[in-house]
Amino acid sequence: MKLFKTMALTLVCLLLGIAVAWQYNSVNANLVLAQYEKKNLSQLVEELLLERENNEKLRARIEELQQEVAALKNDENMDMKYVEDLKKAVLMARVMAGLETVKGTGLVITVESGGQIRVRASHIQELLNELKASDVQAISVNDERIVATSEVREAGDYIMINGRQLVPPYTIKAIGDPDKMEKSLNLMGGVLAKYQIYEFNVSLEKNDNVVIPGVRDDGTVIRTDRLTPVVQ
Amino acid sequence: MVKTHRILMFMVFLLLGLLISLQFRGIINNQEGNISVKEMAARLEAEEAEGRKLLETLNSLEAEWSQLLNNIGSRQRDPEIMELIRLRDYEYFRAGLTNVRGDGIVITMQDAQTAGDNIEDYIIHDADITGILNELRSNGAEAISINGERILGTSKLVCAGPTIFLNKSRYPPPYVIKAIGDPDILYDAIDQLPNVAVMRLYGIRVDIRKEYDMVIEKYRLYESVDEWLSTLEVVSE
Repeated sequence: MKLFKTMALTLVCLLLGIAVAWQYNSVNANLVLAQYEKKNLSQLVEELLLERENNEKLRARIEELQQEVAALKNDENMDMKYVEDLKKAVLMARVMAGLETVKGTGLVITVESGGQIRVRASHIQELLNELKASDVQAISVNDERIVATSEVREAGDYIMINGRQLVPPYTIKAIGDPDKMEKSLNLMGGVLAKYQIYEFNVSLEKNDNVVIPGVRDDGTVIRTDRLTPVVQ
Repeated sequence: MVKTHRILMFMVFLLLGLLISLQFRGIINNQEGNISVKEMAARLEAEEAEGRKLLETLNSLEAEWSQLLNNIGSRQRDPEIMELIRLRDYEYFRAGLTNVRGDGIVITMQDAQTAGDNIEDYIIHDADITGILNELRSNGAEAISINGERILGTSKLVCAGPTIFLNKSRYPPPYVIKAIGDPDILYDAIDQLPNVAVMRLYGIRVDIRKEYDMVIEKYRLYESVDEWLSTLEVVSE
């Protein structure tokens, strides 16, 4: 009887020991796993939302085109509609290329050196990248429109954009959501925080009527001499 | 003696019971976590598949629309309309809305395989890429794409964790930048870029090669044009 009791106790203690070790191990593993999964899950959700938004936009574009195609097919007296469509397509392409002067709601930012440090091309480039990240529709620096081929480079004491020398103060205009742009510029450690450290004089103004000129159309900025269109 | 023994046994069993139930619950929770991640991944995959389908629909619609316009135009033989069609093709070409062909370079960038203490130094950042884009433009690049996304003047390019957000989509490395221009000038400009040397020092692979007669894809317009134009007023001069 006594032997039985001792054996039972030993067995139970052994089981308990194993259980404790198992539990400890599993809690540790779960912690690691949970962290990994949490990060993965939020990332997945973020990507899902993004994908949904993109699909919504795609559907809107498809619907628009479907209507245009249907109109082209059905309309008996299509001349007017047809010419109108073509003109709209031309205008849309010219706006996208940056060839048209456009007006809209946005921000006007001026930047100028306020101390020892000169405003360099890289400082302006950083600002432009930040603006592009907040979904702008048009940007200019000292009225030089930023297009697909626009460079921002150092030229002696000044900066050069679209092959033109620009002198300070630099005025950057952007058409887009002004609050969104301002928020991303004001982020901690963001562009404006850096400008403050460089002691730049910066002004930032929201405006409902920002006018951004088109790029000059002489073949020096939008260049196509090395490109051949591919017929689809 | 017997009483203490019983109490001891009771305690031991109590603990054992607690532990087993704890362990069991842990396993169940864990499974729940797995399911939701799997489910989310499946939903994402479905949404992405839907996106690819929509894109195909859009592409065939665009082709149909373009064909219809061309057919009507040539049937009517109206010089004004022929001129408008020519103008549309030309402006689409200049705006980056047409696939283009030409000589240039291809840059392939891949994160370092082994990372040291500061992981940030061993991965590619948006500033590394925007720096390269600026250098390409300064050296006469006429068309640029990254992982097949045509880069326009207002293209968005931001770091999003280990991936890069381009125009409206997210891309993981490697990043393949194509640029059409003078291949020799572009090659030398990028090869001699100080930041490229720094990246290479950290083990980030930056391969540059000259490529002849390559195609750069058009910008994929995938949002309502009317909506996009509605927030802009075109000021005629």
